[in-house]
Amino acid sequence: MDKAIRVRNITKKYKLYKSTKERLLDMITPKSYGEDFYALADVSFEAEKGDIVGFIGINGSGKSTLSNIIAGIVPETSGTVEVNGQASLIAVSSGLKGDLSGRDNIELKCLMLGFTKEEIKELEPKIIEFSELEQFIDQPVKSYSSGMKSRLGFAISVTVNPDILIIDEALSVGDKAFAEKSLSKMKEFKEHGKTMIFVSHSLGQMKEFCEKILWLEYGLVKDFGTVEEVIPKYEEFLREFKTMNKKEREAYRNEAMKLQSKALKLN
Amino acid sequence: MKSAVKVIKEQLNHFYLIRRLSIYELKSKNKSNYLGMAWEVINPVIQILIYWLVFGSIRQRDKIEAAPDMEVPFITWLIAAFVLWIFFYQSTIQGSKSIYSRLRMLSKMNFPMSIIPNYVIFSQLYIHLFMLLITIIIFHLSEFYISVYYIQLIYFIFAAFCFIFAVSLIMSTLSTIVRDVHMFLNATLRMLLYLSPILWQIETLAPEPFPTILKLNPLYYLIEGYRAALFGTNWYLIENWHYTLYFWAVVIILFIFGSVLHIKFRRHFIDYL
Repeated sequence: MDKAIRVRNITKKYKLYKSTKERLLDMITPKSYGEDFYALADVSFEAEKGDIVGFIGINGSGKSTLSNIIAGIVPETSGTVEVNGQASLIAVSSGLKGDLSGRDNIELKCLMLGFTKEEIKELEPKIIEFSELEQFIDQPVKSYSSGMKSRLGFAISVTVNPDILIIDEALSVGDKAFAEKSLSKMKEFKEHGKTMIFVSHSLGQMKEFCEKILWLEYGLVKDFGTVEEVIPKYEEFLREFKTMNKKEREAYRNEAMKLQSKALKLN
Repeated sequence: MKSAVKVIKEQLNHFYLIRRLSIYELKSKNKSNYLGMAWEVINPVIQILIYWLVFGSIRQRDKIEAAPDMEVPFITWLIAAFVLWIFFYQSTIQGSKSIYSRLRMLSKMNFPMSIIPNYVIFSQLYIHLFMLLITIIIFHLSEFYISVYYIQLIYFIFAAFCFIFAVSLIMSTLSTIVRDVHMFLNATLRMLLYLSPILWQIETLAPEPFPTILKLNPLYYLIEGYRAALFGTNWYLIENWHYTLYFWAVVIILFIFGSVLHIKFRRHFIDYL
């Protein structure tokens, strides 16, 4: 079977500066200032065509960074990403222009994605229909509620028919009816053999929908396997993590950081 | 050189995109005002009136010598240059902040980012052409009629566009990396207004070598070109062919520098936000 996504040894480094002075010095002098922060350290995983992969992990574990890198929004510091086909990321109200109406935003967004005039003409009614915005479609987007925004964003991203769909917590804002509609749309995608990546904290949705789970922790791959294997372990971990006090959590974090630097040295 | 070719190719391949996006640019900017796009005209008109009142009264409403043996009213002389200045000023300012203010909107890194400053300038070009039309009407009311010299206006609009694009390409990259560059540009442009022959005639006010030094400013060339075309005095680009060569040399150097800078950093723009 074809590989849809192949991520090899991805590392993403951010620099944390204490002040703007440090930032400036780092930029103009050869010496390095500021503290390195690794959002991702030597992450590798592969997804087959038609796989539905869920990313789980506590806050700050690098889920969003990884999905942004796969979508091609954020560049990686080192490593390689191979994506077979067009990837489309849906995040809450991503890239909508507040002053323009929903209709204008649809065209703008499609233009940005590289569609031609004719294709956009064809897509527009479908997007409007799917978003269920009805008379609001000609109102400026800044007047939309967050649910409406994510509906519009979701409608655009699914209608443009990407090969790989990355969904970053986008379904948590819509109402139940729309979430169900989206899920059924995604099931349709699943049947068509599209690859999907799902980033969410809702384990229920994950269980229902995903086949594989990638568990990230402090920028490292903690586990990668089927839902049945990984989710129980993660639930176990969450229970444990909840009972930890501040000190224990810190110790846990330090332990993870050691692992992280080990992974980086190996690289 | 490779980067320059790449940037030019991106402009040509995405011309439709540039046109559409520039229209949305105009739309979204003026949607929340009741007068909408009219502000794009009202604003410069107010500025011209102020400069006319101040500088006109300093000159005691004297006429000004646009060419040897040709005296013209100060207001027409001012407008001919100011219409270009507004185009230059607005596009450079908007162009400079174009990338970092729109980066969040882009959903793809492989979006041809070099067209962003271009479509911002393009949206200003529509306004400029409209302003130019008004200028031409004013000139006809002041009895400066259309002449064969108007043809060079097309050339000068094109030249202005190229110059502005080259500057914006550099500035948009630099100000994405260091936001202060935008502030610096703002201050510099304010100063540049007085160092260009827009409000006053440099040759008559300052002794040599100041006029020659100030001629290093490519804007000088464009302004004098606009005036020559609108007043119908001469074929500026041919009569001053040395200056024409100098202008294009500057534009090409700026453009190559801007392209190299842009291509080098554009992959990492998002990290600078």
